[in-house]
Amino acid sequence: MTRVIEVPATFDDRSFEQFAAAFGGWPPEEKVLLDARGAQWASPYGLLAMLTAGQALAEGKHERPLLTVPTSDEVKRYWARAGFFTYAAELFELHGKVPKAAAAGPSDVLLDVTPVRATEDVHEVVEKISQGASRILHGELGLEMKATLRFSMALSEACQNIVEHAGTSGWVAVQAYTFRRRLGRRVVVIAVSDAGIGFRRSLESTHAKRFGERWGDGAALEAALIQGVSRFRDPGRGQGLAFIKRFLDQWNGKISIRSGTARLAIVPPWDEDVPLAEHLAFFPGAQVQIIIPAQDAEAR
Amino acid sequence: MIQTIHVGHLLRETVAAPYRNLVTRPTGAAVRNRIQEALAESGCLTALLDFSGIELLDFSCADEVVAKLLLAAEAAGGRFVVLQGLREDQREAIEHVLTHHGLAIAAVAPGDGHAGQRLLGWATPDARAAFACVCARGAVDARELAAALDWVLARGEAALEALSLHRLVRADGDRYHPLPTA
Repeated sequence: MTRVIEVPATFDDRSFEQFAAAFGGWPPEEKVLLDARGAQWASPYGLLAMLTAGQALAEGKHERPLLTVPTSDEVKRYWARAGFFTYAAELFELHGKVPKAAAAGPSDVLLDVTPVRATEDVHEVVEKISQGASRILHGELGLEMKATLRFSMALSEACQNIVEHAGTSGWVAVQAYTFRRRLGRRVVVIAVSDAGIGFRRSLESTHAKRFGERWGDGAALEAALIQGVSRFRDPGRGQGLAFIKRFLDQWNGKISIRSGTARLAIVPPWDEDVPLAEHLAFFPGAQVQIIIPAQDAEAR
Repeated sequence: MIQTIHVGHLLRETVAAPYRNLVTRPTGAAVRNRIQEALAESGCLTALLDFSGIELLDFSCADEVVAKLLLAAEAAGGRFVVLQGLREDQREAIEHVLTHHGLAIAAVAPGDGHAGQRLLGWATPDARAAFACVCARGAVDARELAAALDWVLARGEAALEALSLHRLVRADGDRYHPLPTA
């Protein structure tokens, strides 16, 4: 038996829930096929979600999953240029013709899909992003030059969460695109995802007792993002997410973290997301998305 | 004597790569260890940690390099530490982590004398006022400080004592000196 998971035609943080629910409990008992033939577009969050599912299945010693590539040549080319197929080929048995990734000139992909396995990878990510970030953030989105460095700091802290807390490796990707429906402006999106232990298990031994019966995925996310706690007893820990929140508040940005069965977001006025969603379909690890919108003329 | 420690050099030696971005906790901890070694080997009273060779300083590294250096005061060998060559975003990161820990440090632009020193991190309003006064006037005793700020003597004594305890000024008998930086 094979469980067919249809990849949403437009795959972003919203349609992610449809994707996660399609696994029907974790781990799925059957062999998994991700059917991306009908895919029309995927955000960095969507691309990383597929890789994370593949990684979690591989680490759980499940049968190697299948992935049918998008039918659309344009979509395939875009996914290839974002580096998706490079890693998908390691995790999935790919079905369909995959184009070779051709990097030509400046692109909206600020950072290809990049594995984060160790501290050195975080250094590489920060070095890479600093080259293209000011072009997009300052040039296109109208953020002050100093925001470029803060953006890199936010990226560094988000990637370090994988190395320090996930207990396994993860992925990061950064892309600029136009957020037509929700905002009508250009945005830069950072997506970070891992297939690790998740926030609840990471914080359980040090913080569960304090929450009593309320303890769960939602409470763990609240503790990390709102209260700035960490599993380490070192009082200097837990400041990374606090900084990201402050940075996003200044630039009218959004952060959402999904882990296990819950999702917590700091919602800016331009978005209609719920701050906390619980009792969602389980998905392994943690998925972080940071969105920074173009500043309007008044804010500049 | 003043010892200048170029943090950018230590970073590149530590990671054996031409990086200018001081990021991640393990890297910050390794750089801090190198700084502590340099401080332990030096006979200088004051060390200037020069960040001008650093591009990005993230919170994790601000915490590992600066906050933990101050927390491990004994490892610093009793020396005074001043930061130099910080950009605005770096200053902001350091200010944030030091405030979080209830710590403070002096920072100065390259070539500036003690009058250009700024206090980063957590300090009471009285300690801040006293620090600004000492940096502007040079060495003072509690009586001179109290007169300059229109305080009672005990308030001046308490403020100078707090600065000395945090190694933001150097006590010499009953006089308190700004840290030498040039």
